[in-house]
Amino acid sequence: MAKICELLANLEMDELMETVQLDLDNGRDPVEILKECEAGMVKVGELFSAGDYFVSDLMMSGEMFKEVGEMLEPHLSGKTGDVLGKVVLGTVEGDIHDIGKDLVYVMLKSGGFDVIDVGVDAKPEVFVDALKESGAPILALSCLLTTAYDSILNTVKAVEEVGLRDRVKIIIGGGPTDESVVRYTGADAVGDDAQSAVRLCKEML
Amino acid sequence: MMKTNPIFDERLKKVQAVINHENEHVLACFMGQAVPPTYSDITLAKYMSDTEVGLKYYIDFVNRINDIAPVDCINFAYPGAHQAALSLIWWSKVKMPGEELGENDIWQVDEKKLIQDGDYELIIKEGSAAVMNRILPQIIDMKKIEQFFEYHAKDEMIAQQYTDAGYPVLNSGLICPPFETLCGGRSMTAFFMDCYKKPDLIKEAQDVMLEEQLKMIASRPDRDYVIGEWIGGWRGASGLVSPKIWDNLVWPYMYKLALALIERGITPILHLDQNWDRDLERFLELPANKCIINTDGMTDLRKARKVLDNHVAFMGDVPSQMLTVSTPDEVKDYIRRLLDDIGAKGVILAAGCDAPTGSKFDNLVAIHEVAQEY
Repeated sequence: MAKICELLANLEMDELMETVQLDLDNGRDPVEILKECEAGMVKVGELFSAGDYFVSDLMMSGEMFKEVGEMLEPHLSGKTGDVLGKVVLGTVEGDIHDIGKDLVYVMLKSGGFDVIDVGVDAKPEVFVDALKESGAPILALSCLLTTAYDSILNTVKAVEEVGLRDRVKIIIGGGPTDESVVRYTGADAVGDDAQSAVRLCKEML
Repeated sequence: MMKTNPIFDERLKKVQAVINHENEHVLACFMGQAVPPTYSDITLAKYMSDTEVGLKYYIDFVNRINDIAPVDCINFAYPGAHQAALSLIWWSKVKMPGEELGENDIWQVDEKKLIQDGDYELIIKEGSAAVMNRILPQIIDMKKIEQFFEYHAKDEMIAQQYTDAGYPVLNSGLICPPFETLCGGRSMTAFFMDCYKKPDLIKEAQDVMLEEQLKMIASRPDRDYVIGEWIGGWRGASGLVSPKIWDNLVWPYMYKLALALIERGITPILHLDQNWDRDLERFLELPANKCIINTDGMTDLRKARKVLDNHVAFMGDVPSQMLTVSTPDEVKDYIRRLLDDIGAKGVILAAGCDAPTGSKFDNLVAIHEVAQEY
């Protein structure tokens, strides 16, 4: 495993930052560094799926990925790694929780997705507008309240009403969501955690 | 002294038998603090803000279920002055129905990074009040804190109303482990990062907070109506934090708080949201037949039974989504399968965590109906 990938996978924050800075100072291609970080995040995801890492580890790796991203930003001048596809993401109307959504955002970004985050307490039309504008084929809805199930339902209906449902897959996630909520709302699938959101999105492309 | 009655006395004996694993049948416990307005002529906002009226509606609602199938006990009483209670233990702003939210919208925690850099050091130097007293005015009208203490000064009178209605209330207080309070005040992502970057500093701050809590528990006057107290576990769940964090910053504090309650003759009710499977064995460290673990459907109770056998009582664990979208038959089927596997000894049936406002009335009743079969 390459050093940067390994440091990120091992959650070695300080050493990772030092190594990235050193690589940049030595003129290394920032896109290569970014790709190594993405590989590190894939490794973190594998460890999480295997039950060796936990949500706090995902969060830590996400923060590390973000910090490296900020460090690389001035050097990338618009260049990025390969983009797998676009995802519109947000927490549904009536629900202001953002932690799970933000974690999914980082995991999707590090997994190679271009993510359009519409925020929290987002009305159905906000999701629809973002889908129209971006052409994203995946809509990811976060929900932490059982009282917001109808907001998922209304968002799914809104996507249907504008004729986008045939080309947009809809995944849901958050504490009180499961297969029964998928059936209730008419979504396509549920992710148990941030890592499974990445897996689902890859399957849906 | 509380004045009891035969129905209450009989139910209280059943509760004690379950905790001791001497019960023949399961208990059916009501847990749905925010549900009554959904099925009554009162808004959630009025129910929450007018404590006298809210308490009446709460007991009336429990009576309606009890008229159909017995409610053996109540997990948590009416949530009077709830915003203040949550603010005091969680150090985050709680948005309330009828204020920041619609009249019937459930309260929500709006978590922000209110614990600033340097605050862990401040707690170590001056105690937790130094930070809490700065945060509280940012998140709640301080008059509500005064009202909270006024409301709880009447606790014995309120407890008498539940007793008169025949319902033992299992939880009579909230104990929040330092990990949870700091997580609420710092916000989850920032706090988890701190746990990786400066665990020793957090531990030192948590030690100060724990000492304060232990002194508070030891010095409180005896209250004869108290059965148990709630020890919260949400962000410290095994499914959320790494073993290193859990072993160092979560479990030692929950454990010591539980022991302190037991020392006072109070049953610790460990409210375990999310998944605690990884660390179930550690609960064997608690004294046998003294604690209840209250799970929400994410912890595997079949595994818990195998690992813990009759060491602790189990309370739960009908998932909130099931209460909202499933049918009564599906709820009953879920419970029958669970009880067929884990048996009735030391089991209190209840909604996992707390029944949501959108729970179907018939699904809540189903918990109490099916309990009669076991």
